[in-house]
Formats: sequence, C-alpha cells, structure tokens
Amino acid sequence: MSEQVVEKTAKKRGSRFITSIVLFALAGVMLIASISGYVLRGSASTRANLDRMRTSAVLHAATEGLVDSIAQTARSAKLKELRADKNFRKRGLDEVNSICDAAMEEARAEAEKLYNNPVVEDEAALESAIETMESVLATSGQLENREKAAYAEIYVQLVDNISNWRETAAEGMDDAAIIEALAKTAPAIKDAGNAHLQPGFVRLAKDMAAAQLAREEAEQQGQLISMMTGAIADWTEYSGLEGDALWEKLAAELPDLNGNERFKDALLETAAKHIAAAENGETLPEEAATDEGAETVGETLADYSYFIPTDELAKERQDNEAAFEALNVQLVRIIPDLGELTGNLQDSLRVSLEKVLWPGSLDFSTLYDTYMARGGDAALTGGASKTLKLASLAEALLLGSIALMLLGLVLFFWETLTRRFGVPRTIIALFFIYLCLLAELYNISVRMMLGNVLERMTMYGVLVLAMMPGIQCGIGLNMGMTIGCISGLLGIVLSLQFNMTGFAALLFACLSGAAFSLPLGWAYSKLLNRMKGNEMTISTYVGFSFVSLMCIGWMMLPFNNPKIIWLLSGRGLRVTHSLLGSFAHLLDKFLSFKVFGINVPTGGLLFLGVCCFIMWLFSRSRTGIAMTAAGSNPRFAEASGINVNHMRTVGTVLSTMIAAVGIVIYSQAFGYAQLYTAPRQLGFIAASAILIGGATVSKARVSHVLIGVFLFEGVLVFGQQIANSVVAGGGLSEVMRIMISNGIILYALTQSGGARRD
Amino acid sequence: MTNQNKVLAHVSKYAVTYLFIALSTLFIVVSGLDINYVASQLLLRLNRNAFIVLALIIPIIAGMGINFAITIGAMAAQIGLLLTINWGVSGVPGILLAAAITLPLGAFFGFLIGKLLNKMKGQETIGSLILGYFANGAYQLLFLFIFGTIIPLNSNVTIVGASGVQNTLNLTGQVGLYTAVDGIAHIPFLTALYIFAAVLAALAVVQYLRKTISVKRLAVSLGLAAALAVVFSLPPIAAVFNGSHGRVIRLPLVTWMLILLLCLFNSTIMRTRLGQKFRAVGQSQTVANASGINVDRTRVIAIMISTVLAGWGQIMFMQSDGIGTFQTYAAHEQVGLYAGAAILVGGASIDRATNLQALVGTFLFHSLFITAQSAASVMFGDSAVGEYFRAFLSYGVIAVALIMYAWRSAQQRKAGQLNLAEETK
Repeated sequence: MSEQVVEKTAKKRGSRFITSIVLFALAGVMLIASISGYVLRGSASTRANLDRMRTSAVLHAATEGLVDSIAQTARSAKLKELRADKNFRKRGLDEVNSICDAAMEEARAEAEKLYNNPVVEDEAALESAIETMESVLATSGQLENREKAAYAEIYVQLVDNISNWRETAAEGMDDAAIIEALAKTAPAIKDAGNAHLQPGFVRLAKDMAAAQLAREEAEQQGQLISMMTGAIADWTEYSGLEGDALWEKLAAELPDLNGNERFKDALLETAAKHIAAAENGETLPEEAATDEGAETVGETLADYSYFIPTDELAKERQDNEAAFEALNVQLVRIIPDLGELTGNLQDSLRVSLEKVLWPGSLDFSTLYDTYMARGGDAALTGGASKTLKLASLAEALLLGSIALMLLGLVLFFWETLTRRFGVPRTIIALFFIYLCLLAELYNISVRMMLGNVLERMTMYGVLVLAMMPGIQCGIGLNMGMTIGCISGLLGIVLSLQFNMTGFAALLFACLSGAAFSLPLGWAYSKLLNRMKGNEMTISTYVGFSFVSLMCIGWMMLPFNNPKIIWLLSGRGLRVTHSLLGSFAHLLDKFLSFKVFGINVPTGGLLFLGVCCFIMWLFSRSRTGIAMTAAGSNPRFAEASGINVNHMRTVGTVLSTMIAAVGIVIYSQAFGYAQLYTAPRQLGFIAASAILIGGATVSKARVSHVLIGVFLFEGVLVFGQQIANSVVAGGGLSEVMRIMISNGIILYALTQSGGARRD
Repeated sequence: MTNQNKVLAHVSKYAVTYLFIALSTLFIVVSGLDINYVASQLLLRLNRNAFIVLALIIPIIAGMGINFAITIGAMAAQIGLLLTINWGVSGVPGILLAAAITLPLGAFFGFLIGKLLNKMKGQETIGSLILGYFANGAYQLLFLFIFGTIIPLNSNVTIVGASGVQNTLNLTGQVGLYTAVDGIAHIPFLTALYIFAAVLAALAVVQYLRKTISVKRLAVSLGLAAALAVVFSLPPIAAVFNGSHGRVIRLPLVTWMLILLLCLFNSTIMRTRLGQKFRAVGQSQTVANASGINVDRTRVIAIMISTVLAGWGQIMFMQSDGIGTFQTYAAHEQVGLYAGAAILVGGASIDRATNLQALVGTFLFHSLFITAQSAASVMFGDSAVGEYFRAFLSYGVIAVALIMYAWRSAQQRKAGQLNLAEETK
C-alpha cells in the first residue's frame, strides 16, 4: 500500500515537473514575441502604418455617420409612406417595424457601396489636418483630465463626508454661504485654482439637499405603507370603499396617517391593491419599508455633470473647434455629401471623430485598438497588419509571459511552497499577483487600489484578530463572535444616543461594547465547554439566533434620541446609522498621509498594530501559553495541571471582547453602523480571512491575521475593480467573494474532519 | 421506568414541539385572524413545503445530521425550471420535464456533496450549510454570466441589454407552470379527511387479519380513525372547513398523493437492504464498517436521494398555489433553514426523524409563520417584530436542537466512560 502511495506521489511530482517546463517554454516564446513587439513599435515603418490606419479610421468614421444618416432618412421615409397607406392600421407593430428595417438596410447597403473606399487626392493636406486635430485634442484632453481629477477629489470628499445636505445648503442661504459651509468639509474648494468650480458645487449642494428631502419623504411614505399593510390583516372590511371614504376609515384605524395627507395617493393605491386581492381571497405580502440609508454605502464615484472647465480649457476647446473645421473641409473635399449634413448630425460626426483621435491616451495599443474598431485595418497591406497586431500586443504578451513564468515557478517548487505556506495561502497569493498583473493590463491604478486595501485592512483587521484567541483556546472558528459584534454595536448606538462625538465617543463605544460582551462571552463559553467537538456548528447557530433575537431588541430597546430612531413610530432603532459628525473615519484620518499617491490610514494601522502586538505579548505570557496548550492538546494540558475549561473560557471571552472592539473600528472606517441582520455574516468573513492567512481550525498566529486580512481584502478590492472593467454590473466580484470566502472555510473543514472526531 | 418518568422523558424529548403547540395556539388567538383564513393558509403552506421537509429524513437517519445542502437540490430544480420556461413547455409536461432535468443534476450534485461531506465527518451540519453558501456563488455565476452568453437562452428569460437571467420569472399566463400539479384536481378537505380515516381503518383491519399487528394496535388505529372522523364532523370544527363560515377549504389531490407517496417511499426504503445500511451507518460507522458495509458509499447515496427529492420538492413549491413567480436569485436561499427548522419543530433530532415528525413540524412551524406578524402587531404594535421573531424561531430551534444533541451525546460518552471504568475495576 505504501509503495503505491510513493509511486503515486512520484508520478504526480513528475507530471508537475513536465508541466512547469512546458509553461517556462511558453513563457519564453511569449517573452520573445513581446520584445519583438516593443522593437517594432520603435520602427518608422510601423509608425507610418499606424498613421495610415488612423487616416483610414477617420474616413471610415466620417462615412459611417453619413451612411447612418442616409439609412435613417430612408427608414423614416418608408414609415411615412406606410402611414399614408389606408391599410396602415391593419398591420401590426412588428410588421411595420420589419418593413421599415428592411428599407433601412437596403439604403444602408447602397450608401456603403457608394461611399466606402473614397478616393483621397490630397493625402498630405488630410494627414496634416488629422495631425493637428490629434495634437490639439491630446493637449486639451490631458488638461481636462487634470482638471477633472481636481474636481473629483473635492466631489468625493464632499459626498463622502457631508451627511446632512439640507443643513449645508439650507433654503435661503446665498451661494457664498453655501461655499463657506462646503469649505468646512473640503477646504480645497476655496483654493484660487478651484474658483471656477464653485458655482458647480453650489448647484451640487442644492441638488443634494433637494434629493435628500425627496428621499426622506419617500422613506416616510414607505414606512407608512409598511405600517398600514402590517397593521391591517383583514382587508375585506374595507371592501367597496374608495377615495376620501377609504382614507377616513384608514385614518380612524391608524392615527399615524393624520398629518400625512401628502402621501394619500400612494397609500390609497396600495390599499386598493390589497382590497382587490382580499376580495379575490388572496393575501398580498406586507410591504417592507426600505432603508434608504443603506443605498449610500459603497465607494463614491464623481459625477461630472457639475464640472465647470477653466477658461484655459474652454479656449483649448475652441481650438478643437478650429481644428475640426479644418479637418471637415478636407473631408468634404473627399466626400462632398458630408457638406450636406445638418447641425445635429455634424455634431455626432465630430464626437465620433474625437473619439477616434483621442481615446484617452496616446498609448500604442490603445490607439491600435481604437483604429481597429473603426475598420482601420483596411489601409494595411500584406504582412503589415500582422506586424502591427504583434506590436499592439507587446504589453499583454509581456504580462502573460510573467504570469506563465510565475505559474511554472509555483508548480516547480509546489511541495516546498505548500509545506511552507499551505495550499490555500499559496493559491490565493498567486491569484492576488495575477490580479495585480491584470490591473496593469486594464490600466487600473494599482496604487490607488493599494490605498483601498490598506483602508480595508484597518476596517477588518481587529475583527479578524478576534478569531485568533478562539482558535488558540480550542473552540475553533468562533462564528459566534457576532455576539461580541452586537455588544460593540450596542456601545456605538449608546454613544449616538448620548450625542457623543470624537475620540470620546470612539473610546466610550469600545469600552462599553467590551463591557457588554464580557458577561455574554462568559455565558457563551460555558455553553461551548459542554459542547466539545461541535463548537463550530453550535456557535454558528447560536450567533444567528442571537442576531435575530437582537433584531427584536433593536426594535424594543428604549432609545429615544430622534436622530437614531424611526421618526414615525417614535421608537425602534434605524437600520443604518451614519457616523459622520460622530466618529466616522476618525482613526483613519489620524496622522494620515499620502505617499506615492497611496493614502495611508495611519491611525487605523497603528491601532491594528498595537492590538496585534498586545495579542502577541499575551500569547507569550503564562496564561497565553497555557491557553494554547489547552487548545492544541487538551488531554496533555489536563495532565500537566492546566484547567482546560477555564482556559477555553478565557479564550472565548477574549475573542468576544475583541470582536466588540473590532466592530467599532469597522464602523468608524466604514462611516456607518449597521444594525439588525447586518452583522450576521461577519463571522464568516473573519474566519475566511484568517484561514487564507495560513491559520487552521486549531492553530493561529498574529502573522496569519495580518497576511490573511491583506490577501483577502487585496483580492476583493482588485477583483472588484477588474471584474467591473471586464463585465458591466457588480455581480462578478460578489460571486468571487462568496466562492472564495466559503470555499476556504470548506477546505479548512475537510482538513480538520478526521482529526476532530476521536 | 415508572409512568411518571416516562411522561417526563416524553415531554423533555418533545419540549420544542409542545412549546410550538402552545405558542401557535397563543398566536392564533392573539392575532385575531379569521380561523377559516388561518386553516386555508396553513393547508396551503403544508402542501407547498411538506415535500422538501420530507427530503431531509434519509440523511438524518444515515447519521449525517440536517442536510442544509438541500439548497443545492433546489438550485438543480431551478435550473430545470429555467430551461423548461426557456423551451416554452407548459402544464404537466413542463413540470415533468423540469423534474426530469432535476433528476440527473440533483444526483450529480448530491454525489459531489456526499463526497465532500465524507471528508468532514462529524461536521456535516455546518459543512452542508457552508456548502450551500458556496454553491449559491456558483449558482449566481451560472445564472448571471454563463446563461445567456455561453449557454444561449431566449430573450423572454434574459435581461435585455445585459448578461444573465431576469430577477423574476413569471410562471403564470403563457408559461403555464403555475398550479400545474395543484390545479389538476381539488377535493374538499373534509371529504379527503373521511377518505383518509377510512383508509387508515381499512389498512389496520387488513394488517390485523394478516396477523401483523395485535388487537391493541388495531383498536388504537380504529379509535384514531373514528376520532378523526367524529372530531371533524362536530359542527364548530366542520364549519371552519365546509364553507358555512368563509370559503370551502379544498386540497389539491395530486399534490397530496405525491406527498403521501414520498412518505411511503421513505418508510419503504427503510425496510430494504439499503435502508438497513442507512440505519446501521447512522448508528455507528465503526460497527457498520466492521460488518462489511461501505460506509462512505452509503452516505453518498443518502445525500444523492435527499438532493434529488429536495429538487422535486422545490418544483412542487414553485408551481404551488399562491407563488406564481420564480425569484431567480433568492428562491433557494431559505429552503434549508425553513425545512430544517420545520422538521426539528416536529420533534425530530439530529439523528432521528420520521414522516410524521416532518409533517407535524411543517404544520406547527408554518402556523407560527402565518400568525407571527399579526400577533406581533397586536402585542407590540409593530408587525416587524413578528418578522424578526420568525427568523429568531427558525435559527433558535436549530440552535436548541444542536445543543440538545451535543449535550446528549456528551452525556452518553461520559456514561460510557464511567461504565468502562467500572468494568475495568
């Protein structure tokens, strides 16, 4: 049997060796191709060919506009003709559409035959016109990018940090006053260089205030509807009533409706729906009130509709105008019918020409791809198209070669690596490096994303640290750390209730959260001590149950600060609490600085570092060593006089308390505290992070926490950006998160499966 | 054991069940809901959910705990339903097609689940839960990015202008899957009950004549059948169902026949060789292994059966009266939680379960489900509390069952160790 195993391992090793050699060979070929691509880029003939492609693409874009306009004209002419026909009404919509489309396609084919392959007589003049327009566009484009970046920075600062726009831009405030109010959040707005942006931001503030008002109204309407549908069980009683009569009866039943007549129409509409259903013997589900606060969560992207260009940029844009006129003259000489285009079509022609000549950068492969998309390859003959293709792929080939080489290396040293780092950590680390390469390929700023990763490390770091004492003391992955999270949230809400701000609020939330979690964690540990061997299953469900129990708690606890409760019913905490004005980003902003364009959240990192250091010290102390011993080998520990149950209690309580502090830190980095069902999955996130860092269900070190949180968050941040640029819509990154996070926990379970079942 | 001890043991074993009986009675009274309405809703939910809950029994007996990975069976069924809608097959053929697609898919997924759970023995409950989460990711990948792009679909099920399947698929109207099974035939509840009582009595008599049961059992069965018939004939109770107060409550005949068929399947398979293997593996893997049973293979088969049955259960759920739409990305999410909680409420535990427990559990669990919101708005003036209370009950029941099971096995282990110690002395 053991011989077979040895043989199998040897076979596996052999096939890995061969695979890695093949990968190295492939990587070598790609590297050579890439180098030759870069060399080709430098040659004059490639440059000339690229210019030829550009001309062809420009002509193509021009004719395309013309052909489109002819086709559209033909289509509307056909439609008019059909309308005039007396049988028009008998035809279905689909039939009419298909007839018109057929006419359009016919006209398009004819026009294409006529205008494609236009004859260029004065090539030099056309070339120079294109050249001028490109250079003008590039100057103004770069200027615009710079100005927009300055704008975006202020925009994000404002939108991220202002919670109450109705206060910032209250009615009756003049523009100067609004600017003053905005400058409190974003001082850069008053810089001399940004004066031109001010009117835009005033408009933004006013719009945001209006949107906030609308949102609040919608929220109140949603709450009223939810309350109404929840309170009335039997709608048949209202059968036959309508309009004012229905309203009166409803208001008699539900006094909250009085004074809210502005929502009458929406409420009556919902009521009518329910009545109709009740009459048919059906029941509609209760309408859940949406929590509008939740929508603001997520990364802010600048909205450029409030952007105002500087005079310089405006002048550059005028130059563009002149360059376009010059180019247009040339184009009309080649295709006389272009001169006939009316204003609207001319504008669209200009837009498409600008897109061809300034695709955002003058990078070789970007230009090549843009020209190709416009049919620029028509200008190339023979081998030229292949040469250019190779030149354009130089970067991709280089990155691909690096990727293959890495894979080859990892396979080659597979046994050493996995023995040293474990399978999951090796795979995830490799994946992370690949994501970095992909980011480079998609021109996504790696630096900015590294900043994001650091931010999210401070956010999740302490929560992940909470997993460590649990693993060390032998209860495994402490999924019930949500108990600690809820204690921490209770601390935050208390600090909001007492209107505390700044570091005092942060400290109070941490301390009171830890205080609440102490007795809870103790009771929880007593439970787990009687459930040895089943801790993870039980802690998961105890955590889930506690979260749902506290959902009722959040509704019933006697908080009464109007800022944090549902206004309408006058009780029950809201779901999402903005911490702006309390302690949002307080630690992260503390001593924070920018280096190489990376935002370093110094305070948060320091805090995480201090926590990790204390934890490290603790695990070297007498108690810490005893705890680890009790966790890794309970029988031996018992024999050497360690009270195993006591040590498990210490570890569990510690884990719960760190989780309480962790959620406070998480909320300050996030800017929001989320109650109710929000903390339910936090245990899973923390567990997968520490496992990725190299921990197992029975062993964990501080380094596992730090590496794990960096790799996990790194993969998520990079993955999200890249997924967004590959596929529209955010779904892919979420799928990746779910699969990585749960996959790693499953892996850990399979590794522990046999061992824990003695 | 004295009589008093017996009663105590019984009460402690079924504590959760009795608690739920008390709670649901309280809620029905407090909520002030019309009893005819409650009864009709309850029966509706019973025939909707019973199938899935019954799918949990075999893995429990095979010692694999509550198979929360039945969500994966539900996903297989949803793939089947999507393809059925896509191909435009409606009515009973549509349901049969979906079930036919579910069979190989569910069996394959079940095979994989079983293989994985064999690597985490003793942690099956949590393992299957997390496996369900993981599969949800794969499911989203499939429905958002692979369907509609790599696997072409008709435009009536995809999102226009983006990749992926629509959020909500309609089962009514032209699609024609809504109540495809439920709608075949309905009979009044009371008629069904009388028939049921008669069949019960007849079966008992037949069994007695063939001498498989004692006179005592015969008397109990006949008494039960008679009691059922009499109690439901009493005017105040009959009035709830026969339409003299509210509407006549009817049962979907074919659906109930299928549910009873599944119950029959569950109890019959236990008498076969395979069933014996399930039981042996469930009681002790070591003993089963020693007696020549391939433990791992038996466990895989148990999960495969459970996954396929859960998939069919999900199809039954989807087509049932009052659903009508298919929430593409959410329909499977709570399947495991609700089914697991329901069977535990009925008195099952992590290692024991019967058909009756599954049916009673579904009944009790959903009676709370229907009344919780209204009861909460009466008691606390806020129906949202009821919503959270429901969630708390679902998770809480599972947590309590897990704790009681762990507690019992810890005590058994301790007792075993004590016995061993005494013997060695």
